[in-house]
Amino acid sequence: MKKIISKISILAASALVIAGCEAIDPTNVVNPNLSEEALIGQPNSAEAWYWGMERQLAVTANNNLIISEIVSDNYVNTQTFFNQFLDGLNVDYQDDDIDDSQFHIARLREMAIFGLEEILPNDPNATDVQRSEFLFFRGLSHLLAGMYYQQLPGSAAGPVLSRDAHLDAAIQYFTESNDVNANVGSLIGIARAQYFKGDAVAAISAADAAITADAGGGFVRYITFDPQNSRGNSNSNNYTVNSLQDALYDRGSFDDLQPLPSLDFLDPKFVVVSGNEDSQIPLLKIEEAHLIKAEAQQSQGGDGDAINTLTDLIGLVATRPTISVDDGAEDRTEREPGSRPDSTDITVDGMAGLVLYRGGGPVTIPSVSGTSYTAADLAGLSGDALLDAIYRIRQQVFMGEGMRSVDMGITYVVSQNEQLLNTANVSADMTVPDLPPFLVSIKDDIDAITYDEVARTCTIDNDITAIIVSQKATDYVCPFH
Amino acid sequence: MQTTKAVLTFLLALCVQMGFAQSRTVKGTIKGPGGEPIPGASVIEKGTKNGTASNAAGAFSISVSGSDAVLLISSLGFETQERQVGSNTTIDVYMKESQEALDEVVVTGQGVGVSRKRISTTVSSINSKELKNSPAMQLDQLIQSKLPNAQIKLSSGQPGTASIIRSRGPVSANTNTTPVIMVDGIRVDNLNSNASLGLNTGGAQSSAVADIPMEDIDRIEYIPGGAATTLYGADAANGVLQIFTKRGKAGKASVYFESQVGQMVGTADFLRWDQTADIIFQPGMVQNYRLGFSGGSEAFNYSFSGSLYQDDGFNSVNEQVRRNFRTTVAARVSNRLRYSASLAYSNSEFTRDYNANTSFARFGNLEGGSYGNLDSLSDQEITDLTNQLQEEGELTNITERVNRFNVSNNFTYDVNDKVFVSFDFGLDSRNSKQQELGTNAVQISKGAWAEGTTDQGYIDVSSRNFLVLSSNLNVNYEENWGDFNFLTTVGGQVFRSNDYQTLINATGVPDGSESINNSADQSVQDFYNTVTSYGIYVAENVGWKDKIFLDLGLRFDGNTAFGEEIGLIPLIKVGASYVISDEKFFKDNISKDYITLMKFRANYGEATLFPTPFANDLTFAANPYNGLQSFAFSNPGNPDLQSEIAKTTEFGVDLGLFKRLTLSFTYYSTVTEGALFTPPQAPSTGQAAQETNVGEISNTGYEIALSASIISNEKHRLNGRVSYNYNENEVVSTGGAPEFAVGGFTFLGSFVNAGQPLGYLRGAQVVQDANGNYEVNRNAYLGTTFSPTFGTFGIDYTWNNKLSVFLNGDYQFGGQGVNVDDVLRYFGGVNDEDRFPQAVLDAGITSFFDLAGYWVEDANYVKVRTIGAEYNFGSLLDTRIKNLRLGFTVQNAFNWVSSSFDPDVTGSGISTQGGFAGGGFGFGTESAPRIYLGTLRVNL
Repeated sequence: MKKIISKISILAASALVIAGCEAIDPTNVVNPNLSEEALIGQPNSAEAWYWGMERQLAVTANNNLIISEIVSDNYVNTQTFFNQFLDGLNVDYQDDDIDDSQFHIARLREMAIFGLEEILPNDPNATDVQRSEFLFFRGLSHLLAGMYYQQLPGSAAGPVLSRDAHLDAAIQYFTESNDVNANVGSLIGIARAQYFKGDAVAAISAADAAITADAGGGFVRYITFDPQNSRGNSNSNNYTVNSLQDALYDRGSFDDLQPLPSLDFLDPKFVVVSGNEDSQIPLLKIEEAHLIKAEAQQSQGGDGDAINTLTDLIGLVATRPTISVDDGAEDRTEREPGSRPDSTDITVDGMAGLVLYRGGGPVTIPSVSGTSYTAADLAGLSGDALLDAIYRIRQQVFMGEGMRSVDMGITYVVSQNEQLLNTANVSADMTVPDLPPFLVSIKDDIDAITYDEVARTCTIDNDITAIIVSQKATDYVCPFH
Repeated sequence: MQTTKAVLTFLLALCVQMGFAQSRTVKGTIKGPGGEPIPGASVIEKGTKNGTASNAAGAFSISVSGSDAVLLISSLGFETQERQVGSNTTIDVYMKESQEALDEVVVTGQGVGVSRKRISTTVSSINSKELKNSPAMQLDQLIQSKLPNAQIKLSSGQPGTASIIRSRGPVSANTNTTPVIMVDGIRVDNLNSNASLGLNTGGAQSSAVADIPMEDIDRIEYIPGGAATTLYGADAANGVLQIFTKRGKAGKASVYFESQVGQMVGTADFLRWDQTADIIFQPGMVQNYRLGFSGGSEAFNYSFSGSLYQDDGFNSVNEQVRRNFRTTVAARVSNRLRYSASLAYSNSEFTRDYNANTSFARFGNLEGGSYGNLDSLSDQEITDLTNQLQEEGELTNITERVNRFNVSNNFTYDVNDKVFVSFDFGLDSRNSKQQELGTNAVQISKGAWAEGTTDQGYIDVSSRNFLVLSSNLNVNYEENWGDFNFLTTVGGQVFRSNDYQTLINATGVPDGSESINNSADQSVQDFYNTVTSYGIYVAENVGWKDKIFLDLGLRFDGNTAFGEEIGLIPLIKVGASYVISDEKFFKDNISKDYITLMKFRANYGEATLFPTPFANDLTFAANPYNGLQSFAFSNPGNPDLQSEIAKTTEFGVDLGLFKRLTLSFTYYSTVTEGALFTPPQAPSTGQAAQETNVGEISNTGYEIALSASIISNEKHRLNGRVSYNYNENEVVSTGGAPEFAVGGFTFLGSFVNAGQPLGYLRGAQVVQDANGNYEVNRNAYLGTTFSPTFGTFGIDYTWNNKLSVFLNGDYQFGGQGVNVDDVLRYFGGVNDEDRFPQAVLDAGITSFFDLAGYWVEDANYVKVRTIGAEYNFGSLLDTRIKNLRLGFTVQNAFNWVSSSFDPDVTGSGISTQGGFAGGGFGFGTESAPRIYLGTLRVNL
């Protein structure tokens, strides 16, 4: 019996030891993720950090482009998935999407700063090109803050900077970026910052610098997505699907944006390239330099110069690529077929040729820039009529790129989370939106249309471009006026 | 050895001598209220040490001193019976279930088995008879409506999906309310939600609770979180649910066979349109076959039970197969050492439909108004739609396979009469694989891509390998000193869980391939989660005159998920109970006819939930990005991270009245200190949210359970039970953190904020100002998904020990839920009539964000979960068949609800692994089906 007991004891002890090796020693638990030591000081860490910034740019874009398109007249949100407040111009400091927007703008900046201060100095293989890129992203973060926000903290839980202060910071870092390693993107960034600051002279100078530096004449810097390696849902920091493409093209879950019928021919600008590749979205492109220049010229009374610049632009746009896409599955609405213009015989505000028919095979859509304007359309335009044309071309050229809402004078506010967690720097008034009153009065009808399916006519209820031009003297729109 | 033999021979000789001295032999059978044999019942001649036990068939034989002898017959869970022998040579005894159950031995939460009267906290149990009445195939369904103080809501009728199990309200924002689940002392995987890398096919949450091996369950104990769970430390703040499996009994081998056949039909009670049922519901066959045998001797016994289950679902997509077996052995290795073990295996395979939060969901699209008002469709349109959805169903290919092993070992060594050592160790190994074949064809059929698309096919494969090893060693010492009795337990526990998951996405898969190899591209991600928890404890239960008891415990708890600044956490419990009805003055003044039992109890105790593994570390990520390495910030890290500690004070009274009623009342108050919140950081930091111990949550309430033996005579027996629980939950403090979401949607979500219930529903509410104008009050409190009031009820009637009829159900009142289906219908212009006041719409408030409050409804219900009848034919064919029973049950039989949706189901509201689960978002998924089941059970 003793023998049996001792055998059992040995068995029990062995079992305990087996369990014990794994189970009792707590030091045996190893976090499989990267520690700080595994990153800083490692050769080529700057290269990997740079790609991390490009990836973050895709995430930042996802968190800014869609809401910008929704709040503008470009797109109406016909489903539940995307933001509903902004579609009705309700800029609310408690809106999660506004919180996410500023979070990802800040994350871009903080990554750039960490790259500049921690990664680059410790990477033996770091290069000036990488330094230039990190500076570019730092500038870009401030540029986005200056575009979309009246004011926003400029550092982690730090003081709130005005729009102009952000734009100045953008100019500073873009300039440094270009100084370290010349790049057209930074020059266009400077031009945009000067534009929104309303400095026509500096804007023309920066635009010219960009056009001159763009030797090939077709510069585009893209935001690149990676649907294959996207993780988590659309709120995740690792969501690298082109979610605007989801909204515009893919027939996914409850996510359908429909374009203003006058822009129908430009949609969907972003489509699935292949099973593992989404469309890129232009971040900065040389068209912008031409548009800024034209508008600055127009504001200075140089209508003829402006028309010449726009003619150059139209020529440039004509060289941009197009895509052939079968858009039959999405069509013009998922939920209510026939509720929106969907064929070539339909006129929009009396104009033909703006609406495509998607039921008869692939349609051709510009993938970088497109416009319905021809040089002939510009002939003889002057004053507000010319300004009107410039804003319509801007709307068309920047379709889906998050610019229209800024042109409309819409800005967001410091979010509630920032207010609660950065109490020393955020006062209550910073959470109150300052929206153009001329839009607030029509806030529920910014992208409203009247469509007569039988008469084959569509009317845009509120011509936002006309409103912008009519309000050019206000601080909200037309920075050069 | 020689000495042992000599002693045995002497004892045997003594018995024989005594045997010659006896004058009578009495035989008989001991049966339960339903006529089932009760093996192992004790039969003792009163006033002597002469006794025996019934065998597997309930039969006994005892020699007694004469006709004056009185037999005392007792068995756990039954009232002790006395029978005068008289001139009888055969005495058959029908046992009555004990109404007091104070002598029932409870294991869970005590470190060692102690009688219920010594315990100062609440313990509920479900016995084998109650379990037998339920044909449920998964644990949460099995216990649904049977525990007086717990509520179980199944999130979907799709197979293998998660449930919300709660008792005293949510104590944590960091995890769901599922208790620790143990089988024979060994922890098992209790992940009651999708795994981190689980497939998201719209909202169906796969659950590890759904495939816990269910064979041969003898008894289930449940202790709600708080004071009773101090000895479990880590993870036990939501309570502990322990399954005890059957053991073989000494005697001739017994064999049983059980066959169940029936039909499963979709529950149409909550549908917006009857046509939905016509279009996609179709009845499916349910069959289950079970075979078991057991036997053995005093020194060794064994049991085996195996089953094969299959159902065709209630629609054309769902099918399910389950294969289970369990083997147990128990051996008396020596007269000091006992060993028992249980090995179980379960395999389940099922197919699922797209559900809820995806536009691929057939059910969701119908009920969500994607096809307009189904009432207005012509017969031809209905036929076309039926065909269309039938085709979509045929192309749908979402499968899940689970293989699970569950092993437990127990050694008990009696050092002497007063000291024994108990050692458990075992494991639960669960491997699951989910696969979704998103062929071009299925996507085209659902309108996602244009006809002719060939490069959008995908295969997603999610695998999870989970292993938890656990062991528990304790030394128990019992000592009597005068009127005092001491039960001392010193022990330690350790468990380690390894959770390894992979998710493979293959894209550009041509139709016809089920291999990820045949694709344009693949990507893979993994998830690794390891945690070791360890604790040592000492527990002391002091009894005085078997009437007053003091219940003390101290535990030190460590965990690898703690931050580096945190060492061992001390946890204490202090309790007392007083069985006043055992006092002489009580007995002298109050007749047993009125009050048979009165016990007061009070307790304070602490239990924890540990933080998310690795959330304490500062980490970076290297993410794949178009084939390049890309670094990013990941977890900010928190060196002070530790468990949240739920501190519970409870007191109560147990009453036995009129020999027919038992009433239990408990008041509790739990405060979760250092509650784990993961609030956002200031957006300007650009840093992800960090788990941190900043919150405080309170839960107060009371639990009342009443059971009654309404009629009890040889012919008729009628028992009833009902419970009433009230819970008030509030986030006391967020520690300065801003309000944050733990579920739901942007337009209407579950949020955490001070002064509100945990996970309260937040959204816009339309209110009228002083002038009668409508305005939108954004981010208003719209309700709570945890109904403050809930309870269970049951009734069973037995006629002549042959026919029994039973029913059980549950209810909830005071909570709310969201009819998300109608939100979707609103977008299709077919929302419920009168959902909104016309004046509100006329005032221009038409955004569904602004109208959110109108979709929140009171979610009260009374549901009869199981109703059934069984006839016991007794022994047949000259007892070659010991027992034959024929039964019929209906599961999910009747529903009465106040809402226009099923308050149980939730298409959202259960977060993935390690997240909060409040439920309450009814949409896009079917309710648990109604199942009609016939059962034939034969004991040989």
